[in-house]
This record gives sequence, structure tokens and C-alpha cells, in this order.
Amino acid sequence: MSQTVVTASTGRTAGSRPSRRLRAEGQLPGVVYGLGGDPVAVAVSYKELREALKTDAGLNTVFQLDVEGTKETVLVRSIERDPISRHVLHADFLRIDTTKKITVRVPVQLVGEAAQVAADGGMVEQKMFELEVEASPLNIPTVFEADQSVMTLSRPLTVGDLELPEGVTTLAEDEQSIASAVITRASMMDEEEAAAAEGEEGAEGEAAEGGDESSSEDSADS
Amino acid sequence: MLMPKKVKHRKQHRGRTRGVAKGATNVSYGDYGLQVLEPGWITSRQIEAARIAMTRHVKRGGKVWINVFPDKPVTSKPAETRMGSGKGNVEHWVAVVKPGRVIFELSYPEDKIAREAIDKAIQKLPVKARVITREDGFDGCIG
Repeated sequence: MSQTVVTASTGRTAGSRPSRRLRAEGQLPGVVYGLGGDPVAVAVSYKELREALKTDAGLNTVFQLDVEGTKETVLVRSIERDPISRHVLHADFLRIDTTKKITVRVPVQLVGEAAQVAADGGMVEQKMFELEVEASPLNIPTVFEADQSVMTLSRPLTVGDLELPEGVTTLAEDEQSIASAVITRASMMDEEEAAAAEGEEGAEGEAAEGGDESSSEDSADS
Repeated sequence: MLMPKKVKHRKQHRGRTRGVAKGATNVSYGDYGLQVLEPGWITSRQIEAARIAMTRHVKRGGKVWINVFPDKPVTSKPAETRMGSGKGNVEHWVAVVKPGRVIFELSYPEDKIAREAIDKAIQKLPVKARVITREDGFDGCIG
């Protein structure tokens, strides 16, 4: 858990115009909810929050939110972005109890090289980028590394292949695919061309065996 | 080329395009996305041209997702026709896009080639657009 404390002020006016004014002042509108408490509209400093989330855990960082003197342990549940500038427009903070498990989405990263897939003319397609897990707030994994070297064209990488740390359980089924191998059209074309070339060679060979007279005629002509 | 199999009404009004995209503003399937930065109509021919430009650049090695569908009919009257006599014939189909919409996604292992491929696709479109990548952390990721 990060020891960072982010100060939040309450009593902000709801609505798009007051929120826009807040953002212009370097504040970020947000809401705090969870643990059976009432939702509270807050405003936090954009810079402070950005610094607080600059840990390895990224958006899953657990930190303290100082709401008008009351310190609450929170986690960013979701953020809303502007689709063009990509700036964060709003954040949801979830109150958490550090003794109880919570559900979070942890990034899944492929490591290693899928040598067998590459040798067979395939390409690795990652299908799952985040895995939903249940973990203690103090023990949230930062990233799951999935070793793609075990993959072949017929063997996808599944949730069962991940090594989950102790105390971390996933809500996904073991058979759920993280990444699978797909045959690229380029390699399919190469195979087709090779097959066609072989077919032509075979046909030429047969013609040469079956038609000695014609070939001799050809040579005579030349 | 992409077009609906059947429609409820053959011809539509043009309409107005206001605001920004509400959904499909992130890269969801691939590693890179082509994000539109201004509103516009993208015809099925332009979608196909962009797709071909992209797949040719990655030498058919990557995977491309098309996130838009041209479901709006555009009509026009034949040349040298007097005005009146009703609305023209459906000539082509367009997808209406708003700023922020990710219309193509690409999965390819090499960063440089993937970006070049999307840049080539952008050249085929009638709107400003840019390359975006999968979001990572608080700041997200542009370009």
C-alpha cells in the first residue's frame, strides 16, 4: 500500500460547468463510495493524484484520501477520460477495508518468445489484457506475466498457465484464453505458393517421364 | 465492400454531427488504433481502401479490426437532371463518425511498421486522424 496521502475537498457543486471550472483550477472532480457509506462528491488535486498513482501498481494503487480531515483508504475504481485530449475528467474512489479481499483488474503481459508459433508461420494474438482477481488490498499483484514460449499453433495460453501469488484467486475459468496463435495470411499464401510450385514440378516430372518422345521432339526443335 | 444486407428505410436524411464519440474511443482488441479527430462521413470505399493500405503495409502479417460499419445511405440525382421528381437514388453507403472514435485497430509485433501502416490508412480517409495505443496508467497513451 502506498503511504501517499491525497487531499480531497468536499462540497463541490455538481454539474458540467462547475466541474469544468474545477478542472481549469487544476482540480479533478470525483466521488468516494463503498463500505456501505454514502457517496461523497469530492475534488482532488490532479497533480497529487497523478503522483500518487505513479507506482508500479498503476491504477490499482491503494492510497489514503484525506476527506476533510478523515483519512480513508481508497482505490481508484474507474476513471473517465476525454476521448481526444485523453486527460482524466473524473475519478471514482472506492473505500476499502484492508482486511477484506477486493476484486481488481490486473494487467496481463506476455513475456518470452513463442518460437514454435513463429516457426509454424503463426502470430500470437493476445485476447485478454486484464485479469479480474480477488486479492487482499495489501497484496495486489502489479502485473501477471504470461510466458508465451509454451504456445504452439494448437495450444493457446490460458488463465491456468498463470502463476498466481499466494492469496490471489481469479474469477476467470482456467480454460479461458489469454493468447492464441493465428496463422497469418502471408504464411498461408506462402504455403499455397509452395504447394502450387510443387504441383507444377510434379506435373512437369510426370510429363517428362511419360512423354520422352515429345521431349525429344522439343529438343530437336530447339 | 461493406453495406447493409437489408434496411428498414431505403433513404435517410443527412442529419447533423455534433459532439464527440461516446463509445469506441479506446483500443480494445489490437495494440494500435486509428482515432478520428473530426466529424465526418466515411464511405465504404474509403474504409476498404484504408484496410487494404494497412494490410499491404504489414505484408498481410498482422490482424486488422474494423470498428465502424457504413449503414447510412447517401443518395444523389443523376447529372443534368431537372430538379424535383423526388429524392435521388442511393449511390453509396457511409459510416458517420465523431471525434474520438477508433475506427480501425491493428495488432502487429513491430511498432514502427504498425504506425506506418496506420499512417497509410489515414491518407485514405476524408477526416483528420491519429495513431493511438492501448492505455497504460493515469496518463494514457497517445501517438
